[in-house]
Amino acid sequence: MDTVAFSSWNGKVVDNRNGKTAGNVAVDLPAPVGKVAAMMGWNGLVVKDSKADIPSLTFNYLKEARKISCGECSVCMIGIDRLLDIMDRMARGQGKKADLSEMQGIVKQVAANSKCSFGQSALFPVLDAVKYYKADFLALISGAKKLAGGACGVEVTAPCMDACPAGLDIPGYIELIRNNRFDESLNLIRRNCVLPGVIGRTCTHPCEDACVRKDMDESLAIRLLKRAAADVDLAQGGKPFGAPLREKDEKVAIIGAGPAGLAAACQLRLKGYGVTIFESLPHAGGMAAVGIPDYRLPANILSHEIDLIKRMGVEIKLNTKIEKLNVKDLKKDGYSAVFVAVGAHEGNKIGVEGEDKGYEGFVDGVRFLRDMNLGVKIEPADKVMIVGGGNVALDCARSCVRLGFKKVEIIYRRSRAEMPASDEEIEGAKEEGISIRFLAVPVKIIAKDGKVVGAECIKMKLGKPDESGRRRPVPVKGSEFTVKTDMIIAAIGQRPELPALDKKVGTTAWGTVKVDPKTLATEMEGVFAGGDCVTGPATLIEALDMGNRAAEGIDAYLGGSAPAQPVSFKGVDLCKQRGRGLVIQSPAVDVAFVDPKERAGKFEEVEGGFNAAAAMREAQRCLRCYRVVVWEQA
Amino acid sequence: MLTIVINGKKVKAQEGSTVLENIRALKVDIPTLCYHKDLSPFGACRLCSVEVKANGKWQIATSCNTPVAEGMEIRTDSDAAKESRRAAAELLYYKYPETGAVRDVARKLGVEVDRTEAEGHDCILCGLCVRTCREVVGVSALTFQDRGRGRDMKEPEIIFDPNACIGCGSCAYVCPTGYVQMETDGDRRIIWGKVFKMVPCPVCGRYFAPEDQLKYISKTTGVPLGTLTTCVDCR
Repeated sequence: MDTVAFSSWNGKVVDNRNGKTAGNVAVDLPAPVGKVAAMMGWNGLVVKDSKADIPSLTFNYLKEARKISCGECSVCMIGIDRLLDIMDRMARGQGKKADLSEMQGIVKQVAANSKCSFGQSALFPVLDAVKYYKADFLALISGAKKLAGGACGVEVTAPCMDACPAGLDIPGYIELIRNNRFDESLNLIRRNCVLPGVIGRTCTHPCEDACVRKDMDESLAIRLLKRAAADVDLAQGGKPFGAPLREKDEKVAIIGAGPAGLAAACQLRLKGYGVTIFESLPHAGGMAAVGIPDYRLPANILSHEIDLIKRMGVEIKLNTKIEKLNVKDLKKDGYSAVFVAVGAHEGNKIGVEGEDKGYEGFVDGVRFLRDMNLGVKIEPADKVMIVGGGNVALDCARSCVRLGFKKVEIIYRRSRAEMPASDEEIEGAKEEGISIRFLAVPVKIIAKDGKVVGAECIKMKLGKPDESGRRRPVPVKGSEFTVKTDMIIAAIGQRPELPALDKKVGTTAWGTVKVDPKTLATEMEGVFAGGDCVTGPATLIEALDMGNRAAEGIDAYLGGSAPAQPVSFKGVDLCKQRGRGLVIQSPAVDVAFVDPKERAGKFEEVEGGFNAAAAMREAQRCLRCYRVVVWEQA
Repeated sequence: MLTIVINGKKVKAQEGSTVLENIRALKVDIPTLCYHKDLSPFGACRLCSVEVKANGKWQIATSCNTPVAEGMEIRTDSDAAKESRRAAAELLYYKYPETGAVRDVARKLGVEVDRTEAEGHDCILCGLCVRTCREVVGVSALTFQDRGRGRDMKEPEIIFDPNACIGCGSCAYVCPTGYVQMETDGDRRIIWGKVFKMVPCPVCGRYFAPEDQLKYISKTTGVPLGTLTTCVDCR
């Protein structure tokens, strides 16, 4: 960050005006694209160009704040209206000196007595402006100066929204649920998430980790609230997506009907493009269809949401594997752009002796889940060992319990702390009697007559952190041991199997496609890529977000407007706010789970959802931590 | 029972009760506009603000939706608490200067109110009608339309769903400002602009309830409609 003329960020005043050198801002600030003359945000006022018009910035900030002030509590809504009335009077040259102290009084009362985090925090920078730029306001009141007016940049976020890969307006959809407006809540969710029922069940919910309530009592059950909006809609028959405002002539080909492909298809269709998806498998859904077992995501939820996308006019050609991507042919067929979203469905080698021998009873995790989801009969054996500590490993293990395997063991080379699988999956596995052997790894498959009978393993200890930041496991010499097992499932990651691409489409050393991070365009004109085939194995919501962004990139390529560049809040502590009301402890509303004893042998959905009343109760807990930033360009 | 401290005085409080209930039990006068003892608290009017000690610090909190906790210390009479309530009333009066209920509260809390007669019946977004409709009647014909990101509403308001309304009039009954108007004239009732057909009692001939309401009661209670169409006095 460059030097500031003035800053009150986080309430810490740094004033370098009039030749003073008080220092600089010690923390990261919100970073809009381009040069900023002055910025007003929930946490303070930052002025870089001493010529910046602070009263104008304040007026603009209040106008934007008014849009976020919901109206559910009197002081915030009316207080902001009154501040705007005062500023409006000043702008018309009818201000009074007493206005400034009145403004300060209103700000203090709004901060002290507002219902939500927004009202409690948002107006502090106005106080700073009036206090530290008093002369500018007085010049406005005396008529010596006029408001410059002019447009300003604006961005709204929240800790949860910023943590969400797809940037969902989380406080917004929670608020609509709280107000019993499930229908509108779903509309708002669908803007960034076209598979709400799927994501509402399977998301790794980084939003919940960012929730301000996490350290107070318990995070909001954000994922389950999204699921509630989808479930209430499904119970009423399932509302279709809207029709495009205007049909366009161009058609787009999408390769892969996973979350990325489906999201791009839906968003492009809404913009009026014709869309055809080519899918190699007999089912659409990608990893959501063949990577996630039914007990986590019932097949009817996915098929319903895919059906809604198909009903928009998106054509999905199943069992159509694109072996070789020939853009010329696609163009001949009338496609103006291509989006490659083939995912990462090839299991990685685990590097044990014997894994290439084709032993019966040795399979990779994604293959195992795919076979199971596509209806291949899997005979349960006595004992199965799953290698890996991610969600795929957990999905395999918990599926094995349901398939009737008697003993299910996970073997993971690091310790519990480094395990990448989500906590609820690990807890669920433990409840189902799955054992996890930490700090060990198989080194050799023991087979008899071409069939797996066991594994030779070695104990590990944790060494120095590697490039992922996790401590690297190191083998303990002489600690070899043998485990008897009838089956080994290797689930240590996936990589994409790309269709033969033109050389012009660059790939990385990891076998993923290289793209422009903003537009998702590949190095070959008209070809875009996203999802796991670009990122390597990631989450459904990340893939879905790339689908959304690819649609923006393709639209811009085909003549639409360029997508807006979001403000970066990297390094900014969005949980921090200068005023905070009393928060009454109340843990999240519970949902019912299928009794662990009842889970073996069937794939019934294990987690219950909220009904409408429970969802509304849970939504009450949201503190509504909207953060507004307004800035004047230099 | 829990023990709490209100204005320095130890009092017994029911577990699960709110601070406001306990304050009012002590006959401390705290006027409110969005509170009703039979409805869930909403914290819209901010007129019931008091000071509560949390982590050693006195903090403003609305008493209607703050549940009591063992040892909780509450002040209703501190300068900060009184100023908070006065400021909330002043803001309400700023926005709704013509509305009688608001003027009365503002005057009571020390806001200077002009002498002209109150003529307005503004909706002050207290949400009593919304909660009554949902929690007591059980139909949810009224919902709160508020502002937020991507919604850019100019003014928040109460939205009426004519398809869900049964014409019972509970919202008009609970409305503190007279904004919700209900007109009943012979065989017709008009509320929120919707016209309802009133049912006459076959015994006394009095038009006593909207047909939609009786149908709804029949549906939810299982009592045959034929029984309900006779008024309570004649049944």
